[in-house]
Amino acid sequence: MSTFYYLIQNMLPVAIPLLLVALGGMFSERSGVVNIALEGIMLFGAFFGALFVYTFQGVDMNPQVLLLLGMLIAAVSGWIYSLLLSFAAVTMKADQTITGVSLNMMIPAAILLFSKMFFNSDGITTTKNFYIREVPVLSNIPILGEMFFQRTYLTVMIGFVLLIISIIIFYKTRFGLRLRACGEHPQAADSVGINVYFMRYAGVSLSGILGGIGGFFYSVGVLDGNVSGHTGVAGFGFLALAVMIFGQWKPGKIFFAALFFAFLRTLAYSVSLIPFLDGLGIDQTYYKMLPYVATMVVLAFTSKKSRAPKAEGIPYDKSQR
Amino acid sequence: MQGKNNTPLKNRFALKDITRISGFSAFSSALIAIVLGLIFGFIVMLFAQPENAIKGFRYVLVGGLGRFGSVLYFATPILMTGLAVGFAFKMGLFNIGASGQYTMGMFFALYVGFMWDLPPGIHWIVAILAGMLGGMIWGFIPGIFKALLNVNEVITSIMFNYIGMYLVDMWIQGNAVMFVSTKSRTNYLPSNVQIPSLGIDGSNVNLGILLAIIIGIVLYIVLQKTTFGYELKATGHNKYASDYAGMKGKKNIILTMVIAGGLAGLGGAFAILEPSAIAGSSMTYETINIIAANGFNGIAVALLGSAHPLGIIFSSVFISHIQRGGSLAGLVGFKPEIIDVVIGVIIYFSAFAMIMSTALARFVKRHITHKDEKDNKAEQEAIEAKEAE
Amino acid sequence: MENYIVEMLGITKEFPGIIANDNITLNLKKGEVHALLGENGAGKSTLMSVLFGLYQAEKGEIRKNGQVVKINNPNDANALGIGMVHQHFKLVEIFTVLENIILGVEPNTMGFLEKNEARKKVVELSEKYGLSIKPDALIEDISVGMQQRVEILKMLYRENEILIFDEPTAVLTPQEIKELLGIMRGFANEGKSILFITHKLNEIMDVADRCTVLRKGKYIGTVDVKTTNKEELSRMMVGRDISFSVDKKPAEPKEVVLSVKNVTVASKHHKNNAVRNVTFDVRAGEIVCLAGIDGNGQTEFVSALTGLDKMVEGSVTLCGKDISKASVRERSVSGMSHIPEDRHKHGLVLDYTLEENMVLQRYWQPEFQNKGFLKFDAIRKYAENLIERFDVRSGQGPITVVRSMSGGNQQKAIIAREIDKNHELLVAVQPTRGLDVGAIEYIHKQLVERRDAGKGVLLVSLELEEVMNVSDRILVMYEGEIVGELDPKTTNVQELGLYMSGAKRNTVKEIDNAG
Repeated sequence: MSTFYYLIQNMLPVAIPLLLVALGGMFSERSGVVNIALEGIMLFGAFFGALFVYTFQGVDMNPQVLLLLGMLIAAVSGWIYSLLLSFAAVTMKADQTITGVSLNMMIPAAILLFSKMFFNSDGITTTKNFYIREVPVLSNIPILGEMFFQRTYLTVMIGFVLLIISIIIFYKTRFGLRLRACGEHPQAADSVGINVYFMRYAGVSLSGILGGIGGFFYSVGVLDGNVSGHTGVAGFGFLALAVMIFGQWKPGKIFFAALFFAFLRTLAYSVSLIPFLDGLGIDQTYYKMLPYVATMVVLAFTSKKSRAPKAEGIPYDKSQR
Repeated sequence: MQGKNNTPLKNRFALKDITRISGFSAFSSALIAIVLGLIFGFIVMLFAQPENAIKGFRYVLVGGLGRFGSVLYFATPILMTGLAVGFAFKMGLFNIGASGQYTMGMFFALYVGFMWDLPPGIHWIVAILAGMLGGMIWGFIPGIFKALLNVNEVITSIMFNYIGMYLVDMWIQGNAVMFVSTKSRTNYLPSNVQIPSLGIDGSNVNLGILLAIIIGIVLYIVLQKTTFGYELKATGHNKYASDYAGMKGKKNIILTMVIAGGLAGLGGAFAILEPSAIAGSSMTYETINIIAANGFNGIAVALLGSAHPLGIIFSSVFISHIQRGGSLAGLVGFKPEIIDVVIGVIIYFSAFAMIMSTALARFVKRHITHKDEKDNKAEQEAIEAKEAE
Repeated sequence: MENYIVEMLGITKEFPGIIANDNITLNLKKGEVHALLGENGAGKSTLMSVLFGLYQAEKGEIRKNGQVVKINNPNDANALGIGMVHQHFKLVEIFTVLENIILGVEPNTMGFLEKNEARKKVVELSEKYGLSIKPDALIEDISVGMQQRVEILKMLYRENEILIFDEPTAVLTPQEIKELLGIMRGFANEGKSILFITHKLNEIMDVADRCTVLRKGKYIGTVDVKTTNKEELSRMMVGRDISFSVDKKPAEPKEVVLSVKNVTVASKHHKNNAVRNVTFDVRAGEIVCLAGIDGNGQTEFVSALTGLDKMVEGSVTLCGKDISKASVRERSVSGMSHIPEDRHKHGLVLDYTLEENMVLQRYWQPEFQNKGFLKFDAIRKYAENLIERFDVRSGQGPITVVRSMSGGNQQKAIIAREIDKNHELLVAVQPTRGLDVGAIEYIHKQLVERRDAGKGVLLVSLELEEVMNVSDRILVMYEGEIVGELDPKTTNVQELGLYMSGAKRNTVKEIDNAG
């Protein structure tokens, strides 16, 4: 049973970044812009979040407040970086995939450059500890308390809140309705007076905000607050894309898809703690490959049914109706 | 009267034609992207070390010229990955998996180099072919996923970049002959597995670059002159029309990805089998869980060369040139990563440089030829009148 | 001076290469049904898009109730009470009917949707005007007729008083058309003003008060419908007299070329089969027309017939050879030529040159390649020959990029290619779609010529006039089944309409037995 709690407690800090970044991807793609730049956006957010923490870690401040402020910085930087994608994809009508690839390529090099210049290292190392041993009161709830409120990070709770907010925005607001219309049938949206360009900027911006936060949460929950230009976010942005596709571009399903992938990954890194798997004597590398292989298997089975937003990837051009 | 008018008329048309043809617009858009990328690099340099910026930037621009041998040497692998990306582009496939294919090519070549006992004359050749095979296998899988299961090749290729990297790291670490665990890299290859050097100005430039250029030319011929090239480009332009014309779309997708994979695999083989100037050493592979950068550089090369095999030959040399220049800029204290950022910026702009270049062409047309506008119009009308007859 | 609710004065709108509207004037009275008549490409839709704010005119002004107004986007149009039903519906398929109606003018508090209020209003409107809809059904699940009612409700929901209908009858059965024209008349009687874009003269005579005619982007005139007739209108539309009938001898059917038995094809959109148990023959020397409303399985049937898609069941025999499982290429070699429904999607590689497109079906034959290398000289010669024989016009001849050619000449290129290639059966799917009268006449002539040359022709058409005039035998398809076989000489449009709408059916087998 303790192994079970251990897995849950370790899985959630991994699942939340995946969830947030995939939700970001959903907002972008449902508005009609393919966002392959999530990897770069995550790293950008993570870097600036970590840079902020690094700068203020000496100040006497509650670590959770510092985390919240770092999150804001990460959100803003992710948003700014995403503007490069919106500008190319929406305003300049460039190929969205190629733009995304270039945004992914720039960032690791830029971080290495910056870190080598100012820290003489490959990235940023912070010393602040954001770990929460137990949340007062809530951690005493039977079962749930141990699963969600012990040995955890604030990021997990924020992640759930952002998930709920995303669902409400997506399904219950005028903004969400208009956003989804732009990804399906931008001409229809335009004909009823919706500004497609604006909505697409908004969709990509949300993906920048969520992607930046997701990246920062990844560095907090998975990398212990460190960011390196060499390893970056280890393909998490791409995994988030797979999570989004697996989740059929719908927030609820994306949540479960993120849990599934995070579980596999946690399993891969906890093999030695699970006597049964450890006893099999399989090379740990196989477990590390598991999330990527699982992505392929899942996509192979779901691709026939999956229904991507219809206008995704096609630049909207007012003069071509 | 007519003779008098003839010459300026022709000139004017020639200028208009240049601004219209696609080759020119591909070239000018590449140029725009490069210039913007370099400007960006210069600005970064100015911020980093204003006093050395001009010196460093000069290294970036022209530093490579003095070391042309080593420019070609480093151009070889990215020429191959560039071809791998560009060839698939022609079919409308985005082979972002060149990295994984490249890594697989390295591993297969290394394996044959270390584990097989072959006569010196052919050992390196077999190793190269093995590398090609490795890349082909790693291109084949996304091809199958795309053709038979309709899974987007971008996602598949990315996943297989990671899977390939983990696999190769594991295989090498598990092989005592190949792996030097203290240095977490591979052993030095025996010199008879290394590709023969061309012996230019003390650099390591070798037969690989010649082979790569020949492969580029062969691809050009395949694309332009053969029925396979005709089918490939038709499918890239319009998949539905190719189905309608009875072309075997699925077979062509798989074949294209296999060829693209093979090209990237060759790149890996060329890179790892390159000769070393220092006796007894060779290129090595480090098992540090990182995706090969040369695969992604191939995307830059392919885009700059507008996916045209001959264009890719030149763009690979250019990218290699500024990379060498970037290393040289280290002499005055700049970090070589600056060039990776510049390359990223170049790709970013080349994604929409086509639009800028069209705008530029229109600008040229309007402002350089505007004084002839009136004649032009009369002329146009005359031609139209003739056509109407 | 008359009081007009909308005046469009001297409207000029250019696109790169063409002047879509050249100094056009249109005046709309309150409470009238005003038809806008013209051929494809005459500039009707462009003019209406200018009025609706989708395009901005370079010259000219728009007045509402005598006041000059600027309409920069559909919101402006909406604020002026102008609404539009587009030719291609602007509906989001994965949204519900209700969501589509309120999109853009969503009732909300603080940005949160208030759907209940909207639902009440929509239901009231639909009851008042007899426009029955299901508010919570998804657009992708409802019929085309209901989709159109949703589009109309979109305008009513916005309380528009000037309603533009852009070719609304193209997708409807004759019975549905009658109903729609009635609804339009009702709106006019209630004081709303209607602009009705069409190229169908009968509909104008039935419902319109006045009619403005455009030709090739130019204003030709406005006439009172009561004082004119179809002949005058058609003369204004095309600039010369046109014959409504196709000149042809009676057919002389010979041996069976194509035999289709119990063909069933799955649907890509829903669980039911799109084509069910279709059986018929086509003989050499006859034109058989597969008629029906768009979306009744014709597209899926043709895909299966030509080998682009698999069938679930059934068999296809071409010239005595079973080709049920043959590939596209094998079918083509066995003697099937195919003029596809969508020339841009299937028929042409738009970025290839004309000569490259001319050999699209034959580039692999020894005539055009040797050991995998294309014979460019032979291709050039062949293309030049076809261009001349079929009078395909283009800027630079064989090296013209097809994208730059006009629709009519693109279609001519396809027809040249498909007719010149060896064939016993010509499958022509909506070969005249979107073309002007001259091109249509040309294509009809070519089809009849094929028939007279002893080939079998299977024509799939949505245009009633084409069905009645060109074919020798009519098969009506409804919901994936052949519901009737008719003789164009003895039937009429009304009867055809009853079959097309599923109101009436006989079975082909009975006729076969009787014959």
